[in-house]
Amino acid sequence: MAARPVTLRGRSDPARATASPGRDVTAPRPETPGKRPGGKPVAKKPIPWNGPSVSDSVQRMGIPADRLPDETLLAGLGDGDAELSLAFVRRFQRVVFGVAVTVLGDPTTAEDVAQQTFERAWRHAQVYDTRRGSVRAWLSTIAHNLAVDVLRARTSAPVDPQDLPALLTAMTDTPERFAVAHDSAAGLRRALADLPGGQARAVAMAGIYGMTARQIAEAEGIPLGTAKTRIRDGMEKLRTAYLREDVGDE
Amino acid sequence: MSENGMTCGEFADVAAELALGVLTGRERAQAVAHLDQCDSCREHVRQLSLTGEEMLGLLPSREPTEGFESRVMARLGVTAPDSDHSPAAGGAALATAPGSGGGQGRKSPARWSRRMLSLAAVALAVVACGLGGWALRGVTGPSAGGGSTAQAPLREATLTSATTQQEEGKVYLYDGSPRWLYMGVDTHNTSDKTVICQLETRSGRVITIGSFQLQGGYGAWGSPDPVAASDVTGARITSMTGTVLATAHFTTSH
Repeated sequence: MAARPVTLRGRSDPARATASPGRDVTAPRPETPGKRPGGKPVAKKPIPWNGPSVSDSVQRMGIPADRLPDETLLAGLGDGDAELSLAFVRRFQRVVFGVAVTVLGDPTTAEDVAQQTFERAWRHAQVYDTRRGSVRAWLSTIAHNLAVDVLRARTSAPVDPQDLPALLTAMTDTPERFAVAHDSAAGLRRALADLPGGQARAVAMAGIYGMTARQIAEAEGIPLGTAKTRIRDGMEKLRTAYLREDVGDE
Repeated sequence: MSENGMTCGEFADVAAELALGVLTGRERAQAVAHLDQCDSCREHVRQLSLTGEEMLGLLPSREPTEGFESRVMARLGVTAPDSDHSPAAGGAALATAPGSGGGQGRKSPARWSRRMLSLAAVALAVVACGLGGWALRGVTGPSAGGGSTAQAPLREATLTSATTQQEEGKVYLYDGSPRWLYMGVDTHNTSDKTVICQLETRSGRVITIGSFQLQGGYGAWGSPDPVAASDVTGARITSMTGTVLATAHFTTSH
């Protein structure tokens, strides 16, 4: 198997530094909304095309926009297609806003971050690489990075430790809809629920609120080394659960 | 030990922090330097990064305030269409929405035929619409086809199961400008959710092009700019562990 791109979250980069053009959401894009970039690809991954838009093809095939795959809606967003863009926003607005408001707590700021997220998605739709994950995960990551940047600009503590139990409950609670449908994250959800309390809090504080080990140590009143160990051990357990799902064990 | 002094063991202690973007200062610089020189640690941190991204998917969804979608559309400079977006009456649904659970059952001959027919149509649509590089998962149903403008050679090959020798998909290789590869798989011979696409060349090299996911054994995937088509003699699908699941040999062009 060929080496796959490694993506690291950058502290000052709202969209993450990356070693792969296929996921480089910081790549430049022409500023004119609703138009393709003149046939010149932003990165190597996407195919430049000056012909019919995605929506033209969709209409020829008679596919309702709300039933199209995520990737096709994203391509439509990149094209500036009104119908596909609206379908894209409708499909993902709850996810994006959910990430932003969870991290920030403030609905007003969260809405601004959510809007910025869709703007980023439009701007970088053509460098989205399906091999690096789902559109949902990609959007969530953009929203998360933007929200964490806002959070870090604040002087107040990123999160009140008293709020963490509720968040962890929400993240590990199995929604009713997953009881009848396949929950692709069921293993990760269970693994997070099974983590010792200290590890789960450390993982949430680092992974959701972008807190450093030192900040976690101060918030929890524990030594720095203990905070680092909790992040490492917790994430390793989640990684094991994620890999088990990814290889398709059923 | 790497040149900057950080060992793999030391890197493992901070890999999760690096993947989550919370490692700072000299530790981060040393870790990144180590990453540049160590493939196994790079793979390790890649897995941790993906785990962190998946964890974000566990966050609860929330309904934004009313009018959010309009404000987003205005911000993008896109005029929202009329609110009536109900599916067209009688329109054949070519694609199921992600997560809809469609296509979980075993394939029937009729479904197989429909899928392969629609796959061919989608492949042509890829030529016409530049959809390469986008996975179109769960494509089902008949197609209205429609106006391919392809003029450069489009080579086609049948994917055959490595165990049963049954047909399990199609591979299309477009040798125009830009070049692209497109394939569809419908198999019941693996429980893998993710499979790897590889190309075989005249010199015997096997080149990994990428990976894509199957839903109920079915998946379709495209990739721009594979190796020069004239050098390609075949394609194959493997499991994540490298087991060859199906192979195809290019013999025709049109």
